[in-house]
Amino acid sequence: MRSRVNRRWLRLTAVVAEREIRQRGRSRAFAVSTIVLLLVVAAGVAIPAILASHAKPQRVGIVGGPVASTTEIVKEAGRLTGTGVTVVPEASLAQAEAALRSGQLDVVLVDGTEVVVKQVSIAGGSGSGGTLPSAIADVAGLSKLVGQLPAGAAANGVSLPVRGLTAPSASLSRRLTGLFTVVLVWILISAYGSQIAMGVGEEKSNRIVEVILASVRPLQLLVGKVTGIGVLALAQAALMVATFLGVGAAVGSSLVHGAAPGIVIIGAVFLVLGYAFYCTAFAAAGSLVSRQSDVGTVILPVQIPLILAYALSYTVIYSNGASTFYKVLGFLPPTAPVAMPVLYAAGDVPAWQAAISAVLVAVGTVWMARTAATIYGRSILQTGSRVRLRQVLARGGSRLGTRACLLVACGVRHRGE
Amino acid sequence: MTVTSAAAGAGTASQGVSLELVGLSRRFGSVVALDGLTFGVPPGQVFGFLGPNGAGKTTTMRAIFGVVALDSGEVRWRGEPVTEQARRRFGYMPEERGLYPGMQILDQLEYLGRLHDMTASSARGAARNWIRRLGLAGREAGKLEALSHGNQQRVQLAAALMHDPELLVLDEPFAGLDPGGVDDMTEILAERARAGVTVLFSSHQLDLVEHICEAVAIINRGRVVAQGAVSALERGDRPRLAVRVAGDPAGSWARPLDPRVASIEGVDGGRVLLALAPGADSQRVLDAARAAGAVEHFSFADRRLSEVFRDVTGEDV
Repeated sequence: MRSRVNRRWLRLTAVVAEREIRQRGRSRAFAVSTIVLLLVVAAGVAIPAILASHAKPQRVGIVGGPVASTTEIVKEAGRLTGTGVTVVPEASLAQAEAALRSGQLDVVLVDGTEVVVKQVSIAGGSGSGGTLPSAIADVAGLSKLVGQLPAGAAANGVSLPVRGLTAPSASLSRRLTGLFTVVLVWILISAYGSQIAMGVGEEKSNRIVEVILASVRPLQLLVGKVTGIGVLALAQAALMVATFLGVGAAVGSSLVHGAAPGIVIIGAVFLVLGYAFYCTAFAAAGSLVSRQSDVGTVILPVQIPLILAYALSYTVIYSNGASTFYKVLGFLPPTAPVAMPVLYAAGDVPAWQAAISAVLVAVGTVWMARTAATIYGRSILQTGSRVRLRQVLARGGSRLGTRACLLVACGVRHRGE
Repeated sequence: MTVTSAAAGAGTASQGVSLELVGLSRRFGSVVALDGLTFGVPPGQVFGFLGPNGAGKTTTMRAIFGVVALDSGEVRWRGEPVTEQARRRFGYMPEERGLYPGMQILDQLEYLGRLHDMTASSARGAARNWIRRLGLAGREAGKLEALSHGNQQRVQLAAALMHDPELLVLDEPFAGLDPGGVDDMTEILAERARAGVTVLFSSHQLDLVEHICEAVAIINRGRVVAQGAVSALERGDRPRLAVRVAGDPAGSWARPLDPRVASIEGVDGGRVLLALAPGADSQRVLDAARAAGAVEHFSFADRRLSEVFRDVTGEDV
């Protein structure tokens, strides 16, 4: 009996979800936004790769050693990697390092036995091919081993150590993949979150909820709506990732080389968790309005943690080592969906910490869903002026009172009229 | 003055009543919306639900659907407290029309049918059927917002009828309809009632109610102030007489009448309106009139429903 009731519960919920998918999926707005996002992704991957193939010549300093043979090594490495090179003899290691720091030089080969760069990237450490410093390291290493053999005989061989002047960190391509993930999570959660809030606001303001809630419970309407919209969000995300990987592979972008499976998996996990955490909050915010035009105001507080984590993510992408503050954001459920993929991609947290953060977000999601469902259930049928959150929660007694305080802490409280 | 004496006893499942509202109470802050509201609606007839603005009609209807929580009281359907399952067999047309403006009409109706446990195909069939029946054939793929106000209302009615409900509750279904729309709506309500459906609707158009309904309940400030058959309400608890005596435009002949027989309610162009005292003989009034002159007019005078309404609510419609 109970299972039959549950099946019906799910069936009606699925009917609600199906409507969301069909109505939105075939709307022009969905088609246009999908195409635009895919074009942006494709361009974002392809353009840097195409520009890189016309990269300006790299300036390689040489210090010590026989100038003729080291020049030969550098030129051969340039030929192997398809990079134009300009050889700059430097008087001393100190001068060469100074030039390296100031950006006048890109790589320095010291005595034909050591390769120095400004910063060693993790992905392109040594022997992995592709970048000029590692090619120089390869070729020079081989030359050192076999003496004056023609450098063109270089195949897989012994590489010299590559030394960085500053601490090693995640490669730029890895970071950019992280940035891509964060932009994806941020855009999808905000865009679909506001669609949820708009949809709820529409149903409430034109009173169709009265007709619908005469036959289904508020929770069914809520779950059906966020599930249906969530399916669309995930479909769009999957298309964007496929475009990213497909176009990246086609143009040989270094971004894709940096797209370690770990970043993609963690990005996907936090996208799903982030959506799950925020979808009900957006629905609850939407249920407070009495006119659809008020939706923008009530969802702003819900978006603040996302905006904060997103804006600060650039400081992590372009710096070496995240601040403690940002690491804390990586573990708070409202900010973790955006912050954690960045931290992981930048190599600032290991995978197990990302897993802990995911569990925290999941727990936070359960709490948020219950609180939001309560708010939604109480305010969706309250007409007249905009419903005040405190009013809605006050009716629930002390347990909800605590939740209300936490909600305020999460920034969900909407501003006074 | 109230006419509640005619009401069935509160809470007793009187024979022939399918929907019972028993002691419904609800406050919104300091506003009492429903104050022990009690009445029953029999199946197979169109039942009118009247009251001034703010009397609690919409709240009552929402309470039937569980869309408003009650502080106390109970909605009963066929002798049992109403369940969620029973409610799926109800049809509701809310006062503030609620449908998705940007959704195709056919899809919209199909969706609402499926929310009432219909399969997709039967919901689609019923939707096409009602669209045709309501004169909207050819508009299936159109969006609701492209329809005129009256046609949107037809779609709203179709939404309430989709799943062939056993109880039909309509909040102001006639508001904003043109005469053709009123006729269509009247016909459909009457036809549903003949099919055994319990039909409850609210309206401010008392002439229409008088014409369509067999029985009504009139509420004010959250309580029932009159209910029963329209004919009984119009006759009232005290029969009234209209008498005109030739050559006496002021109706002065009636002034000496014994109040234990009849009392004057009004004089209008020589026509004296008299309320007969309980148990009094109308022929004694006729005798008095005849003694004063030639009696031009002598009849029982029913009140209009609008007069009953004014009497029991103290307000104009």
